[in-house]
Amino acid sequence: MNNPSTTSWEDVRRRMDAVHAALEHDVTITPETKKAILKERALALAKERPKEQLAEAHLEIVEFVLASERYGIESSFIREIYPLRDLTPLPGTPPFVLGIINLRGEIISVIDIKKFFDLPEKGITDLNKVIVLRNAEMEFGVLADAVPGARWIAREAIQPPPATFTGLREEYLYGITVERIAILDAVKLLSDPKLIIQEETAITKGSQ
Amino acid sequence: MPENDEDFLKRLLVTFRIEAEEHVSALSSGLLELEKASPEAREAIIETVFRRAHSLKGAARSVNMTPVESACQKMEGVFAGLKRKEIDLSPELLDELHKNLDTLRELLLPTDTKSAIETKPPVEEKPESIASIAAEEPASKAVAGSATTSVREETVRVSTARLDSLVRQAEELVSAKLAANQHAEALRGIHSIFARWKKEWAKVHPELRPLERASNQNANGSLATKKLLEFLEWNEAHLQLLHETFSALEKPFERDRRALALMVDGLLDDLKKTAMLPFSSLLILLRKLVRDLSREQGKEIELVVSGDELEMDRRILQELKDPLIHLVRNSIDHGIQKPEERQKLNKPPRGTISITVLQRDSKVEIQVADDGAGIDIARVRSAAVKCGVISRLDADKLSDAEAVMLIFRSGVSTSPMLTDISGRGLGLAIVREKVEQLGGTVWLEHRVNAGTTFHMLLPLTLSTFRGVILQAADRLFVLPTNHIERVVRVRKEEIKTVENRETLSLNGQTIPLVALADALGLAKRTSQTEETITALVIASAGQRIAFHVDEVRREQEVVLKSLGKQLVRVRNISGATILDGGSVVPVLNVTDLMKSAAQASPAARTVTPEPRKKSARTILVADDSITSRSLLKNILETNGYRVESAVDGIDAFTKLRSGDFGLVVSDVEMPRMDGFDLTKKIRAEKKLAEIPVVLVTALESREDRERGIDVGANAYIVKSSFDQSNLLEVVQRLI
Repeated sequence: MNNPSTTSWEDVRRRMDAVHAALEHDVTITPETKKAILKERALALAKERPKEQLAEAHLEIVEFVLASERYGIESSFIREIYPLRDLTPLPGTPPFVLGIINLRGEIISVIDIKKFFDLPEKGITDLNKVIVLRNAEMEFGVLADAVPGARWIAREAIQPPPATFTGLREEYLYGITVERIAILDAVKLLSDPKLIIQEETAITKGSQ
Repeated sequence: MPENDEDFLKRLLVTFRIEAEEHVSALSSGLLELEKASPEAREAIIETVFRRAHSLKGAARSVNMTPVESACQKMEGVFAGLKRKEIDLSPELLDELHKNLDTLRELLLPTDTKSAIETKPPVEEKPESIASIAAEEPASKAVAGSATTSVREETVRVSTARLDSLVRQAEELVSAKLAANQHAEALRGIHSIFARWKKEWAKVHPELRPLERASNQNANGSLATKKLLEFLEWNEAHLQLLHETFSALEKPFERDRRALALMVDGLLDDLKKTAMLPFSSLLILLRKLVRDLSREQGKEIELVVSGDELEMDRRILQELKDPLIHLVRNSIDHGIQKPEERQKLNKPPRGTISITVLQRDSKVEIQVADDGAGIDIARVRSAAVKCGVISRLDADKLSDAEAVMLIFRSGVSTSPMLTDISGRGLGLAIVREKVEQLGGTVWLEHRVNAGTTFHMLLPLTLSTFRGVILQAADRLFVLPTNHIERVVRVRKEEIKTVENRETLSLNGQTIPLVALADALGLAKRTSQTEETITALVIASAGQRIAFHVDEVRREQEVVLKSLGKQLVRVRNISGATILDGGSVVPVLNVTDLMKSAAQASPAARTVTPEPRKKSARTILVADDSITSRSLLKNILETNGYRVESAVDGIDAFTKLRSGDFGLVVSDVEMPRMDGFDLTKKIRAEKKLAEIPVVLVTALESREDRERGIDVGANAYIVKSSFDQSNLLEVVQRLI
């Protein structure tokens, strides 16, 4: 953020004055203007939450950051976001399976989508959030560095990935927003048989 | 663990209901049309309703809804008669058909899944007329097993899902109980901290007196000393008070802890009992199996059962189904000889298979005995050597009792002939794996020409077991106590390397020593400076291996939990448990571990199977009933195959031409193109000719079977004798 050594005191003073002026002005506000302001705010709030009527034209996604890249997942597939505390690794699982966690008495597996997508390891990760994805058939956690929050995105604004996009394979990608958030295809991810770990036993392999 | 059978059946039942509704409404509109239609138009309608009744019958059979199945059968029979113009379509007949349809609707009303599936009336008690089913009080079906006894307790129908959830929650309380125990121990530790303080204080206390006196006598004494002395006095009183308060708190805590422990145990016990079913719920299946197989093989066999009223955890019973089928099959196929042969041996021509269920403390022992040929140990030895499980030298060293245990190893079969029932040497290995997964053990007794008895010792309930918490490669693991023969501490110099393999000598017996970290594929701890090592000796199927671990922490009660939906099966790990602190610890799978140990060791002699081509494992399932389709798909998928499905022969053929499949499983009766024609077309197409085809069908007649073979099917499974392991064995053999 701001480097303390370059703080401009003049700037600070100017801002303080502005705040002061604003406060004095606010005190003398008439009930009518107050009402108008509140109404304006209410309208603005109403506009930003296009939930019901715009649900078809919009997609609610939860944005998350992984190795300084921004991803999004449709929020209806997210059961919850859980702070990562203890992760128990399991021997004999592929590298993308990071381990299992205790989610209030229930065991949930956690995966690293970067490893699953074979993306190059770059940047420093600070994995401390688990996004638990689920549908009727499948449930697992995806590890993330940070989860800035949920947002509505107009479906129109979601574009197919450009040819030059070097991120994950297209098949797992729902699209890319103007802010270059890569929206993952949750349906595809949740139903991907490649994600399911089902080790054969020596018995089912059999020998004749 | 794969998807819970119960859950799957439930989902299947939901699918079935949707399908059934469709069929019933089509039947109903068909009947109405039939009434109005001109005689010429009738033929087409009859054909449609006949098909609908038939499909519904097949679907009902897949979900074991016998009453629905038989109701459909009756309707189907009437329609068939109409089709062949053997009966006339009278108004009375139409009325009767409508009435039957109403009965069907009633039967299809959502009841809870458990009673629909598990307490279906025995096949023998097929109601004579459809009407009599309707008269039957639906509630009577809810009384599991004991419904026939004269005293009827009041019952409430509860869905198994809700029951399972209750059991799960109660099991969760065990963690709270264990945590309370730990806290109690910590509190007791505080007492000794106080005791130590008292002792130290008593030592210093006399020294204070002179100081006090000096400070009192000398009015100009240092104020600081005075203050310090005052504080010490206050400090002592304060600590005393703290100790008293603590002791006063400890008592009620201890009381609450005891109460909690008692209540949790009681609650769990009662809930487990609620979730129990009598062993007899498995018998219908076995009786049918014995009847069908003995007839097929020209043997006379009687099934004698005792102790089947004993109740067991429903989940254990579910898991026991496969092992029991394998054991009974094994007895019929290898044990009991044909009547002529038996007579030569002065035995009654009729063979006996007896299943005995005995309660042994908190466990249950199930014996499956036959009065057949017994086991040829020499053959077991050579079979084991042949498939590479053991070297000839080692095999000869084994005692007879040890050698006979080899039949529980994968691939060891003494049967010279590979029949469709058994002979691939997998059955008994599966029995052992299942039983061990349930926390039980299996062994056998036999006498040549007098018979074989298999014993399975199992827990009555699942949920909790005793486990040892141990550390390897700086990680914690839990190992079920019942598999641990002993824990040993061995000095380094006692470890000898034999044939490039570390071994231990225990009571004169040489046991391979494997680092648990190696077996699990983990990096071993670097510093190994200790003079002695700790090892756990694990025994399974007559095989003993000592596992070297860093440390054995303690033994405690453990609740096994599944690893979640994504991790269906992980090698060496059967699940996980949550320790008091909330940390998650993997629970080791002993059966896997023994195999991994053999592979981790350089001198491993286990056969390593060839890696298969991926595409060879994709299976195409063709069936017009969505219920049967999902049933087949699920069975195959849970066993690691990739499955695609097709809704009829034409769809299947199109998919086959564009895709790359290793096997086709197809229904016979399908619209547009049936299974016979599909097989014919596959065999005629150059590119597809080699693909194995398994026909699964409701047609039982010999002609149909022959026709299946004629068109080039590789296997023919009749739906009425269908069971999961049967299909899997066939698929395994063909793919």
